[in-house]
Amino acid sequence: MKTTPDNSGDVRLSGISKTYGSFTAVHPLDLTVPEGSFFALLGASGCGKTTTLRMIAGLEEPTTGTVRLGDQDVTHLPPYKRPVNTVFQSYALFPHLDIFENVAFGLRRRGIKSVKKQVEEMLELVQLGEQARKKPHQLSGGQQQRVAVARALINHPKVLLLDEPLGALDLKLRRQMQLELKRIQTEVGITFVHVTHDQEEAMTMADTVAVMNGGRVEQLGSPADLYENPQSTFVANFLGTSNLIEAEVDTKNGDDLVLKAGGGKLVLPEARCSAPTTAGGKVLVGIRPEKISLTHADDAGEIPAGRNRLTGKIADASFIGVSTQYVIDSPVCDELAVYVQNVERDGRLVPGADVVLHWNPAHTFGLDAAQDIDAGTEEEVAA
Amino acid sequence: MSTLTEAPPPLAPATPEKKPARRRGRFTPYWLLLPGMLWLIVFFALPMIYQASTSVQQGSLEEGYKVTWHFATYWDALAAYWPQFLRSVSYAAAATVLCLLLGYPLAYLIAFRAGRWKNLIMILVIAPFFTSFLIRTLAWKTILADNGVVVHTLNSLHLLDLTNWLGWTAGDRVLATPLAVVCGLTYNFLPFMILPLYTSLERIDGRLHEAAGDLYARPWTTFRKVTFPLSMPGVVSGTLLTFIPAAGDYVNAELLGSTDTRMIGNVIQTQFLRILDYPTAAALSFILMAAILAMVTLYIRRSGTEDLV
Repeated sequence: MKTTPDNSGDVRLSGISKTYGSFTAVHPLDLTVPEGSFFALLGASGCGKTTTLRMIAGLEEPTTGTVRLGDQDVTHLPPYKRPVNTVFQSYALFPHLDIFENVAFGLRRRGIKSVKKQVEEMLELVQLGEQARKKPHQLSGGQQQRVAVARALINHPKVLLLDEPLGALDLKLRRQMQLELKRIQTEVGITFVHVTHDQEEAMTMADTVAVMNGGRVEQLGSPADLYENPQSTFVANFLGTSNLIEAEVDTKNGDDLVLKAGGGKLVLPEARCSAPTTAGGKVLVGIRPEKISLTHADDAGEIPAGRNRLTGKIADASFIGVSTQYVIDSPVCDELAVYVQNVERDGRLVPGADVVLHWNPAHTFGLDAAQDIDAGTEEEVAA
Repeated sequence: MSTLTEAPPPLAPATPEKKPARRRGRFTPYWLLLPGMLWLIVFFALPMIYQASTSVQQGSLEEGYKVTWHFATYWDALAAYWPQFLRSVSYAAAATVLCLLLGYPLAYLIAFRAGRWKNLIMILVIAPFFTSFLIRTLAWKTILADNGVVVHTLNSLHLLDLTNWLGWTAGDRVLATPLAVVCGLTYNFLPFMILPLYTSLERIDGRLHEAAGDLYARPWTTFRKVTFPLSMPGVVSGTLLTFIPAAGDYVNAELLGSTDTRMIGNVIQTQFLRILDYPTAAALSFILMAAILAMVTLYIRRSGTEDLV
C-alpha cells in the first residue's frame, strides 16, 4: 500500500495563525510534516495544538497563512474537499449507523458503489471483522477507537489527523493502542499528525515531535533529541523531569564551560548550551534525574575525577520497583530528583544520609536563565 | 489493613435491624404511585368506562337511557359521519406536514445557529401559550378576514385562483374554507412540533457534523445522512403531538371554518351538547380514539425509532 514518495503527502503550514477576538490561539507558525512520517503535536491543553490540527482538517479557517498538502493549496477548501481525514477526540462515530456503515461512510460519499470488500479488509486491519453489524454503543472504548481509525483510513487520505485519539482510554489500553497505531502507520505509510498532551505517548509513537506552548512551537525534533537537548525550560520540564540549577558562567575551558553553582563548579559542554555564555552571565544547568549517580558521603573519595559533583542530603526516597526515586536537598537546589536503578542497593542511602551526586558532564545541558524555571512542570501546567 | 484481616461482621445480629427498614421500603413505590393512579382512575378510567357504557345504550332524554348492548350505534355513526372522519384525518395530516416543514428549520436554527439568541427565540416559540387557545384562534379570524392583508396579498398574487382550483378556498374568501382551518391547526400546534424537534436536534453532538464533513459529505448530505436520521425521535414525537390533538380538534373548524369544513370533533360536540344523542357521540369518540391509536401504532412501527439511540 506504500505510495511512491512524491511529496504529495507533505503538510506545509506557512505563517498560519488563528485569533478569536483578542485571543491568539496560534501565533504565526511554519511547519513542514514530511510525507509518511508520524508527527506529534505535543502540549498542555490550550496550547493551540488542536486548533492547528483543525486548520489542517479545514474545520477552522486560519486567520493568516496557508495550508498546503504537497503542492496543493487547501487553505480555503472546505473539509469535504480535502484529502485529509480525522480521528476525532472521543471518536464521533455515527450512533445511528452500524460499524460497517460507519466505516463505509466516506467511500459512499465519494460515490464508490462496491464498498463491501474494502470495508471488510479495513475491519480486518483493525481486528473488528466480527463486529461489523453492531452499533457503536455496543463496543468498548478501545474498539470504538479502532472503528474511528478504520473509518478515516479507508479513504486513503494523504494525511491522517488524530486529535487526542487515546485520551478516553484507560492506561493499559492506551499503551496497547499506541503500539497498534504505530503498527498501522508503518503498514499503510500514510502521514500521521497526532495531537496529544501525553509526552510519553508522543515519544513512543512519533518520529518527530513539535512541543507547543502558548500558541507557539517551542521546539521540534526527534523524541530523543528533545529529551536529551531541550532548548527551553518548558521542554525540559514538560518532557520527563529535569533538575534545573541556577549557575554563573566562570571560565571557558576548550569546548567546555566552567560554571559556578553554590560553592562548587560544574562543567557544561558549550555546544549543549542554548543560552548566551559570556563570563559572569547566568545560565540554568540542566541534568536528567536518571543520569545522576548517588554515592554516600563517606565514599566520596571513590568518585572518579572529571565528573560534575554536588553535595546534599537525602530528603525522601520512594521505591518504585525498577528504580528508587530520591529527592535530595542540596545547597544549590532544595529539590533535586535522582533516579537510581535497583541493581546494587546501598543500604545507607536512606532519608537523612549525606550524599554526593555526580554525573558525566557530557549529559549536562544549559538553558537561558531569563526563563521561568518552573515552565512546563506539572504544577505549572495544572495551574 | 486491619479491615482485611478481620473476619467479616457476623450476619446474624445485623438481620433483625434491617428487616423493618426493608418492609417499609417494599411499599414505598406503591405509595409513590398512589396519587397518580388515583388521579388516572377518577379522571380517566372511570369516565372511559362510563363513555363505553353510554355508547351501547339506547333510549331518549325523556325516558332515560338503558344499556342494551346496541353495537349498531357504532356502524350507524360511522356510516353517517365517515366524511367528517376522513376530513379530520386529512386536515390533521396537512397541518402536521406544514408544522414539520415550518418547525424543522426553526428548530434547527435554534439548536445549531442561534447562539446567544437561543433563549429569546425559545421564549417566542412558547409565548403564544400565555394567551388562551380560543383568543388566539379568534385572532386568526381577523388575520384571514375578507378585507384583511392576507386575502389582499393572495388576491393580488392570483394565488387565490390556485387555491380555489385546488378546492382549498372558495370565492374571494379564505375564512370559512379548508385553508383557514388548516392554517389555524398549524398555528396552534406548531410549538408542539418545535419543542420535541429542538430537544432531539440539540442532543446531537456537533462533532458528528464535523466528522461527516471530514468524510466527504457536503452540508446537504450531512443533513440527510446524519442530522435528520438522528433527529427522528423528535420528528416522531413532534408529529404525534401535532397530529393527535389536531385530529380531535373542533375549535379551529368551529371558528375558522364553515359547515363544509366540519371535523369529527365538531360532530361529537354537536351530538353531545346540541342534539343530546349521547350514545352516538360516545361511539364516535371511541371510533376516533381507536382510529388514532391504530394509525399511531402503525406509524411508530414503520418509522422504527426504537432502533435509535
